[in-house]
Amino acid sequence: MYIIVVGGGMVGYGLALELQVLPDHEVTIIERDHNQASKLRDELGEMVVNGDGSEVSFLEQVGAGRADLLIAVTADDGANLVTCQVAKHRFNVPRTIARVNDPHNEELFIRLGIDTTVSASQAVMAQIETTLPEHTVVPLMKLKKHGLTVVDLHLQHGAPADGRAIRDLELPIGTLISLVVGDGGAVVPNDGTVLHSGDEVIAVIPIDAEESMHELITGHPVAV
Amino acid sequence: MNVIVMGCGRVGASVAGQLSEGGHDVSVIDTDPFAFSRLPTNFAGRRITGSGNDFRILEAINIEEADVFIAVASGDNRNLLASQRAKHQFGIKNVITRVKDPQRSVLFEQLGLSTFSPTKNGSELIITSLFEETPDKLTEASQG
Repeated sequence: MYIIVVGGGMVGYGLALELQVLPDHEVTIIERDHNQASKLRDELGEMVVNGDGSEVSFLEQVGAGRADLLIAVTADDGANLVTCQVAKHRFNVPRTIARVNDPHNEELFIRLGIDTTVSASQAVMAQIETTLPEHTVVPLMKLKKHGLTVVDLHLQHGAPADGRAIRDLELPIGTLISLVVGDGGAVVPNDGTVLHSGDEVIAVIPIDAEESMHELITGHPVAV
Repeated sequence: MNVIVMGCGRVGASVAGQLSEGGHDVSVIDTDPFAFSRLPTNFAGRRITGSGNDFRILEAINIEEADVFIAVASGDNRNLLASQRAKHQFGIKNVITRVKDPQRSVLFEQLGLSTFSPTKNGSELIITSLFEETPDKLTEASQG
């Protein structure tokens, strides 16, 4: 697989380190700043090139036409969006991933056909939310195209779901309980699996079902 | 018309000035407050210091009520981000985008934006004026 990473800052550098150890992958890192590019080149070698990743002719030079994946992770949302659009519409790159620095832009990126968006502030928020006791439905990942979200549920004592089997729960339509982690470790549940307070449950739920899920596993509605 | 002009360089200031003089309701945005000194002294519109890609600013000027959005800031990508947001997220019908890079200009025109490339227009003008075979020039050439 041929992967192009645009942006050689902290995120791009970290990504390059992860990708370069994978076997059978070819990786190119594009960094616009000349000094930053030569610094990266000292460490990562030939895979680093200096240029503007949002420019059509430069993407052509690095072989975007045969890329399987382009990941744009600069600190500039405009550059990330345009780079992914050029890759997709001019070079038919099958999959594009963009970093979203301003969370307001995420909806627009998805609407414009960027396959996956990665938002650092959202990832940090999710981490923080897991440590707050009142956040018992923690969104882990949004599958926007399908209107679904993967959530981490912390089952509270005395909640409607406490002590009941999955088949007896009034789950929101479209919900899939994927994993239950309790005292006995992780189990892939079936209809008869009984949930207990203290269990951690990974579920796929419709995006608009977060509130009803919250009530089911805490026993009270979402505080507004 | 309610018009938003993003970027108050020479082009932005000139367009904003002319539209304002024509009686239109104009808001011009630039990150550098000094840029507003390019506006004509009788400019009656709003001057907003900040980024045309900052949601707080877009909300403050009620972007969704604009009829026209003109992106003539200095960066192509910044203009393309703001224009696509104006068109696809806020439903503004008339969006005009300056894209200096001719290749990106063509591509985003194909993707439904109204773009123009001063680089392309300028170089075409130069080539045309060099090889335009007007009678005058032919005479000059034969004499020289």
